[in-house]
Formats: sequence, structure tokens, C-alpha cells
Amino acid sequence: MVSEIWTEKYRPSRFSELVGQDEIVKRVSSLANSMNIPHLLFAGPAGTGKSTLALIIVKELYKDSWRENYLELNASDERGINVVREKVKNFARTKSLGNVPFKIIFLDEADALTPEAQQALRRTMENYSGSCRFILSCNYSSKVIDPIQSRCVVFRFKLLEKKDIEKVLRKIEENERLTIPQESIEILYEGSEGDCRKCINILQSTASISPVISQDLIQTVLASTKPREIKVVLDYALSGDFQNSREKLFDIMLRDSISGQDVVKAIQKEIWALQIEPEIKVKLTEKTGEAEFRIVEGSDPFIQLQALLASFVLAGLGK
Amino acid sequence: MSWTEKYRPKRFSDVKGQDEAIAKIKIFLDNFPRTKAVILHGPPGTGKTSLVYVLARETNSEIFELNASDLRNRDKLREILKPAMEQKSLFKEKKLILVDEVDGITASDWGGLPELLALILQTHYPVIITANDIWKKELAALRKKSDMIQLKEISYKTIKEILFGILKKENLVLEDKNLTKIAINAKGDLRAALNDLQAEAGIKSEMIEIAERNKEVDIFNALRMVFKGKPQEETMRIFDSVNMPIDEIILWIEENIPAEYQGEELARAFELLSRTDIFKKRIYRQQYWRFLVYENFFLSYGISSAKKNIKTGFTSYKKPNRILKIWLNNQKNEKKKSIAGKYASFVHIGEKRAMNEFPVIKNILRNPEIQKELKLSEEEIEFVERG
Repeated sequence: MVSEIWTEKYRPSRFSELVGQDEIVKRVSSLANSMNIPHLLFAGPAGTGKSTLALIIVKELYKDSWRENYLELNASDERGINVVREKVKNFARTKSLGNVPFKIIFLDEADALTPEAQQALRRTMENYSGSCRFILSCNYSSKVIDPIQSRCVVFRFKLLEKKDIEKVLRKIEENERLTIPQESIEILYEGSEGDCRKCINILQSTASISPVISQDLIQTVLASTKPREIKVVLDYALSGDFQNSREKLFDIMLRDSISGQDVVKAIQKEIWALQIEPEIKVKLTEKTGEAEFRIVEGSDPFIQLQALLASFVLAGLGK
Repeated sequence: MSWTEKYRPKRFSDVKGQDEAIAKIKIFLDNFPRTKAVILHGPPGTGKTSLVYVLARETNSEIFELNASDLRNRDKLREILKPAMEQKSLFKEKKLILVDEVDGITASDWGGLPELLALILQTHYPVIITANDIWKKELAALRKKSDMIQLKEISYKTIKEILFGILKKENLVLEDKNLTKIAINAKGDLRAALNDLQAEAGIKSEMIEIAERNKEVDIFNALRMVFKGKPQEETMRIFDSVNMPIDEIILWIEENIPAEYQGEELARAFELLSRTDIFKKRIYRQQYWRFLVYENFFLSYGISSAKKNIKTGFTSYKKPNRILKIWLNNQKNEKKKSIAGKYASFVHIGEKRAMNEFPVIKNILRNPEIQKELKLSEEEIEFVERG
């Protein structure tokens, strides 16, 4: 059955269909053809084809029985390395089916694991290297410890270029009978920041409203994806209205379930756009850094953010 | 505030165990100026001074008070007491002259007693004298010029009744045998009994808190003290007397800081609250309970000191609602999470990422075909449709 979710429906299932990563595809496909692959580490931004390439590999290797020989884990979702280890153990216990003498474990967002957890992971990789191959994916290979990197063949995925994304979009346009003007392609590309999955999602989201993908329509959809209204929160605070600022902040955090850390980040970025003296900008950034530090250390994000907003109230008074 | 002050009687009906004395003092007032002075005598803590204050209140009189701590030599007495005994009250119709603890007048009070006697003869207002021991030789002349009213030791039963009533008002209970012990130990001295009781209540080990209903009265007063009052030693201990865990008090403070503080005060107060929370988390993490001292200090004295001047006027403090909001929201988010989970495993991404991208994904999930694909439940579909 073909999925109605376009990121799935149009997910490449063959090496030749993958866009923008020609070098990697060439090398990985030759590895797959030899029926023996080493551990792999895919590093690169979101939506550039890491998961897709892993899926293509297993489908090439195992054909119809790929599901039995493939385990997909997400490091940021699993609660601790022990859960990962347990799942790997259970999966690796049974022998692979078919001609391929190993099974494949795909560990997504491996860089979300702490260095200690990665050490444990490295041991697991060694213990099961006879029966399993690991494909790890991460955004930043620098966050993956060296011993793991040295055990893997590392592939660096490039950010997709506009022409690559356009190719994908045009294919969907034809199949789904949409109309995508050239300017809309630009906006979709910019709005998705080279993330193909995000781009397709925005397209489908827009298309659920109208098959004519106009610029305005895309903008409306895009506006709903950004961490909203942080500026409003800061504006209230700068004008001295702490109560409203706080209320707005809570609304945003709760409604969109944004973590305290994400809010601090958004605030930090927003400071640059504020019309305030450089000296105060520096002071506020310092306060923001302190708030982020305290939250990371485990302090209550709501209290820390309120303290930060109170600093903005002061800044509004020119202090 | 000490309970002896807090629960000082206000009306005759509040004065327990001294009915005879009350009757006599009323008669004295009615007969004034036939007799110009009355001596209330009895052991400490039987309610002599309290009785005078009740009397003043009930008869709408002003009190002019002179007690052992004031210098009582001849010139001083004349300088202070004479005008008081002759001039009319500025604010009230009547006036009472109270000479407290007259048996404290000793040889050092040069000529004090004869002067007092002389003044009594000239007074325009009733003079009430209190004393523990009136049978001293030096006081014989004074006895002759005055009515005498004895206040009896208060029976332990009466004391116990009073203590019980106070505990009830304070929302505390104490084991009956302990209450009896305090009452008997007091030996008729109600003040001592009250002090003992308050000390016992401070320890709290035997005290069991009751009545949720009155909890908020306490926190409101504590907030008032911290936000409005001058930071002082008592401020540091104020939250000890609030029947509420400190975590909850933190929420109350957090909610109400902006109701009292603005600008710099606001920033300082929140910085201190932030420090409070940091120490709280350090206690959790390291199980080092001495940090509680700092947590408590920043929360009470610290926040109180965030203001430049004491504040007046009434502020209605709000109940903290952040936790409720979060809870309600989590209920709502449960569905979002379960939907994101289904979607995430379907499209090979992490649940967190699906949550982050939910605003875009949501539009897509309105497609019935996709809802079927992901096997969304009725409630989940409703959640997606509702927008």
C-alpha cells in the first residue's frame, strides 16, 4: 500500500532516486552490492537522506524480508542506553534470514547520547559485530566519540541544493496535480532550510488547503511552524508590563510545548533584533546565558525565565 | 507575634476566671471619685494589666500608662503624671491612669511613693495601680488610700480551656496530656502557659496540622509580611509558621512578586527566587540538607529585602496557577504525544522531532486516508480536527 503521507510516498526506494548525495550513493551502493557492509556513520543535517539511504540499503540487501532484519532506534527517544542495549540484544539474538549473514541496526540521532552512553554503545557494537551491522546517524560527527567514529565508515551528507529540492517538488507536483509557481519553489526551499522532509511536509500542508501552491499560502503555513510570539513576550517586558509578558510566555510554552531551553535560545536570537543600546544588548545576552546555564543545570525553567523577563523589564527602563 | 500579645483579651467576656475582680472594678469606676485609686494585685500572669486594657476599651477610655521601666523619682513623677491627671484626653471622653507594677518602686525612686500619694488626691481621673505583692511595708500608705482588688491565680482547668481555644484558632492540635501538663506547670500564670504553648507549637513535633481551609489565611499573612514589611529577623522564620511545604510557598511567592514589586525590585526579587530554586535543586541532587538554610533565607528575608521601602496598602494575593496550567496542558499534550509517536515511527523519525514539527504535520493529519494509515483513535482524530 502506498502511503498518503508524501514524505513516505515519495521516499526514494532505490539508490538512483536519491538526490543531492551522488558521491555517497556511488560508494554505498558498491558496498551493498558486495553483500558485506561495515558499520556506517551518516553525518549531516536533517532531511538530507540519511534515514532514506539506510532504508535503501536494507531493502537492496534483504528485498522483501527487510523488516525482519532491520531494527530502527532513535537515541533521543529511548530512555537511556540500557534500553538501547536491551533492544539490540533481543534483536541480535536471532539469526538473520536469507543470504546476508548479518542484520542491520539503524540508530538515529546517535549524537543525542552522552559520551558515557556512547562508550556503552561502542561495547555493544563490538559484542554483536558478528551478527549485526550498525548504521549510526547524527547531525554533528564531532559529537560522536572517536572510538565509534574509528569503527565506522563515515559519510558526510551535504545540505541539499535548490535544484535537488526542486527536482523532488516537481515530481510531486506532477503526480498530485498541483501547481507550484517558480517563486513558490524559492520560498519552500528557503523555508525548509535545505531539509527535504520539512519541505515536503510544508508542501503537503499547503496542498491540503489548495492545489495551487501560492506564495501567500506557504507563508501562512510557515508562520505556524516558527516558535511564535517570543518577540511579543519581550516587547511586553521591555514596556514594563511584566504580568502580560509572563502570561504570554506561559501560553507559548504550554500550548506549543516548547522547552525552557528552546525559549531561551529563541530569546537569545531575538535580542539582536531589539532596538536597544549595544551596552544593554550585551547585558541582556549575559543574563540570557546565565538563565540558559541555570536551566541546563536543572533549575526550574519557569522561574529562570521569569527572572530573565524581569531583567528585560529593567532593560526597558534603560538599566 | 507572641501569643500573649495576640490573644490578649479584648472584652470583659474574654477575661477568664476573674469574674469577681471584674465586678469589683466596675463598682470602683461607678464610685469614682469617692475613691481615687484602685490596686489590682495578684501573682504574675493573672491578667492585671489585661484587665485594665479591657476596662479602657469597654468604657471607651484612653489609658495613660506609667510602668516600672519609667523613672519614678519625685520630680519625674510630677512632671509626667501631674499633667496627665489634670488634662482632658485628646481623643476620648474618659481617661484611666495606669501605674503598672508599683511594687517595683524601690529606694532608688527618691520620693516617688509619697509623690504618687499626693498626686492621687488631686487626680481628675481614676488611677489604677497594679502590683504583685501589695503587702510590703512601704506600700502601707498607698493601701489605705485605695480600693483593693485581688486577682486570683487562674485554675489549671481555665488555663487549659483558654489554651485549647487558641490552638483551635491557630489550626493546631496538641495531645491532651501535653496540654494538661502545660496548664498545670503554669501554676496559675496564664502568660507563662501561653509562652510554653507557643514554644511547643514552634517545635511542632507533636503538633498535627488540621483544617486545610484555613491554610490560605496563614500564607496570605506571611506574604504580606515578606512583601510589605521591613526585612528583619522574624522575616527569616516567617514561613516556618505556615502550614505549607516550602515548594508550595515558592509557587505562591513566584505568582505574587509582580503584584508587589516593579522595576528594579522585581528584577532583584526574581533573581533571589532563582537562587532559592538553585539551592532547592542542589538539595535534591546532593541530598545535603543544610542548603535548606539558604533556600529559606533567600525566599523570606532575601525577597523581603528586594524592595527599597516598606509597602502599605492592601494587595490581594493570587493563588499560584502555574502547576494547574501545566497539568491541564499535559493532559492535552498526551494526545499530541501519542499521535506524534504513531507518526514518528511511521516516517522513520524521532518522536521529539515529530513533536517539534507538529504544527506542520497537523494539517497533513487531517487527511482521513492518513488517519486510517496511522490507525489514529477517535479521540486523536478529534484532537487533530479541532485545530
